[in-house]
Amino acid sequence: MSKNNIKNSLKTGSDKDGYFGEYGGIAAGENLMHNLEELKNAFEDAIKDKKFLDEFAYHCKHWIGRPSPIYFAENLTKKIGGAKIYFKQEHLNHTGSHKPTNTLFQVLLAKRMGKKKIICESGAGQHWSAAAATAAKFSLPIVGVMGKIDVARINQNILKAKHYGGKLKVVPGSLREAITAAIKEWSNNPDYYYLIGSTCSSAPFVDIVRYAQSIIGKEMREQFMELEGKLPNEIIACAGAGSNFSGSIHEFLDEPEIKKVVVEAQETAALTNGTKGIMQGMVTKFLQSDDGSKSLGGTSLGAGIMYYGISPQLAHLNDIGAIEASVASDKELLETYKLVAQNEGIGISFEPAAAITEALKRAKGKPKDYIICATCCGRVEKDLDVIEKLIGKDFE
Amino acid sequence: MSNRFNKIFSNTTQKTKLVAYFVACYPSYEKSLEIIKKAIDSGISICELGFPTQEASGEGPIIKKAHDHCLEKNITLKDTLKLAKEVRKYDKNVGIILMGYMSNVFKYPIDKFVKELAEVGADGCLIVDAPHELKEENQLRNALTEKNLSLIKLIAPTTTNERLKIISKFFSGWVYNLNFSGVTGSKSADLKQVEQMIKKILNLTKLPICSGFGIKTPEEAKKVASSGCDGVVVGSSIVEYIEKNANDKNLTQNVGKLIKTFILELNKQ
Repeated sequence: MSKNNIKNSLKTGSDKDGYFGEYGGIAAGENLMHNLEELKNAFEDAIKDKKFLDEFAYHCKHWIGRPSPIYFAENLTKKIGGAKIYFKQEHLNHTGSHKPTNTLFQVLLAKRMGKKKIICESGAGQHWSAAAATAAKFSLPIVGVMGKIDVARINQNILKAKHYGGKLKVVPGSLREAITAAIKEWSNNPDYYYLIGSTCSSAPFVDIVRYAQSIIGKEMREQFMELEGKLPNEIIACAGAGSNFSGSIHEFLDEPEIKKVVVEAQETAALTNGTKGIMQGMVTKFLQSDDGSKSLGGTSLGAGIMYYGISPQLAHLNDIGAIEASVASDKELLETYKLVAQNEGIGISFEPAAAITEALKRAKGKPKDYIICATCCGRVEKDLDVIEKLIGKDFE
Repeated sequence: MSNRFNKIFSNTTQKTKLVAYFVACYPSYEKSLEIIKKAIDSGISICELGFPTQEASGEGPIIKKAHDHCLEKNITLKDTLKLAKEVRKYDKNVGIILMGYMSNVFKYPIDKFVKELAEVGADGCLIVDAPHELKEENQLRNALTEKNLSLIKLIAPTTTNERLKIISKFFSGWVYNLNFSGVTGSKSADLKQVEQMIKKILNLTKLPICSGFGIKTPEEAKKVASSGCDGVVVGSSIVEYIEKNANDKNLTQNVGKLIKTFILELNKQ
């Protein structure tokens, strides 16, 4: 089904210097250049190795529980009145999000490279718990770096990761500081494997994470053909840096008739409100001060979509009109959570609530054979306490 | 490249030159200028003026703290350029390099930054996160070359021979050899490794080489100087001294004394 031989394909990944159009690249210190080159070579080599890919596929199926099913949200569809609303249920994966697909791929890559220790960063803690679980399974020690703000509000993932044997390092701040601190740790210890959680930072990270996550879209294609006999008209997913969205749409990038809509947190919408800049190892859109010395942006209930930058590939795709960008507010996240819980009996986390908010808006009034698929990338457990505190009485 | 570096490194009165890193405008604009003037009087050959940024991804906790302090006071790259102008006014011979990250330079934007860099009388800049693969580095390097200014390139212990050869084509002014891979102020230099790398660089260029990172004491500076480099860069230990003694009324005098102890050791070789 893939159309990699088509002219001007959008599926070819970054160019030789790691750019997607004018975004991406490598804005890293000289002391990291060798690591990045080593990683790039190892990645390109690994994805040509059938044995490696078979091993990845095996563990995707038996350890993560892939493929994650698509689900027809019939009650919501009826309630809204319009397009058929589907969920791609990434929250049913082991560890409760789309994250373990990436951590599995990269831990296998780390092992293939002979790395003995892993370091990673995390925002919502979803990546941290997935990374720690994967490291435990493959017997590699792991250190995670998280910002104090995120640690304070999400403790379930942190507890899980602790039980898997992960050692957590807490730094002041949020995901931005965690990424910077993890990169510093990596530059102090070049023999570690740096397991990045999303499609951000220097090349080749963006390509690696997108490669692993593109399984989401591949599964969607097969599942929709089987269930509906056709592909969805729109694919919607939320984005912090963008791994979930990139993974959902990559398969369909050369099919412009399928609309691809990315939803960011209103408070940190880099695609919608950001300007081009160079931070965190990459050229992309950031919410930043005019002089580039500080990042900007508020806080969102969705910790995993609270990032002041965006995948450089998505910045490029947005510029050329291959994707559309939207935002969701905290109020909408809460409202959508409630709707999904009460109508479908599914507890989603705040992040996918952003995507479903957009799906509901777009479904209204559309023809009945129009299909919208929203990727549901996390389950509610990590957000339960906050939800109960904010709107618990709504359910009484 | 500017003639100033030629002059600095061909001066034989001091065999190994001292390159001193300051966080520009730290602890304040006035104090910083006073300290840098004193440092020049105490014998530094080149001053690196670090302009503050939030991430400072190559910096250890000491320098990062000073950056954060400046950001809180809304110090920008513009202030650093202003400071450089004052430093140049004070001394015609000292080398002046602005050091920092692409994020500020890109937003300035690049052409305006280079134009002003030339106007204030600086000799060039060193951008930590700008390898030659970055297209924006190429823009910056070309603009600097046009103005006869240098983009100081860095070499790390992890730089492969093949890569070193490529980077050597872009050398300008002098070469910054990183004594270890890691953030500033975190480890001490491994002398053997430094010696080996300097030999490799010497095979590829006639330009002076300055070695930095991990030089905390005058004794360590002397050791690294014996590796065959033309200068040593001291950063974190000066910034740390300023941090710890920011309220001492003798701060400027004492930084001068600290720098003299480095120069004294370097001259003992």
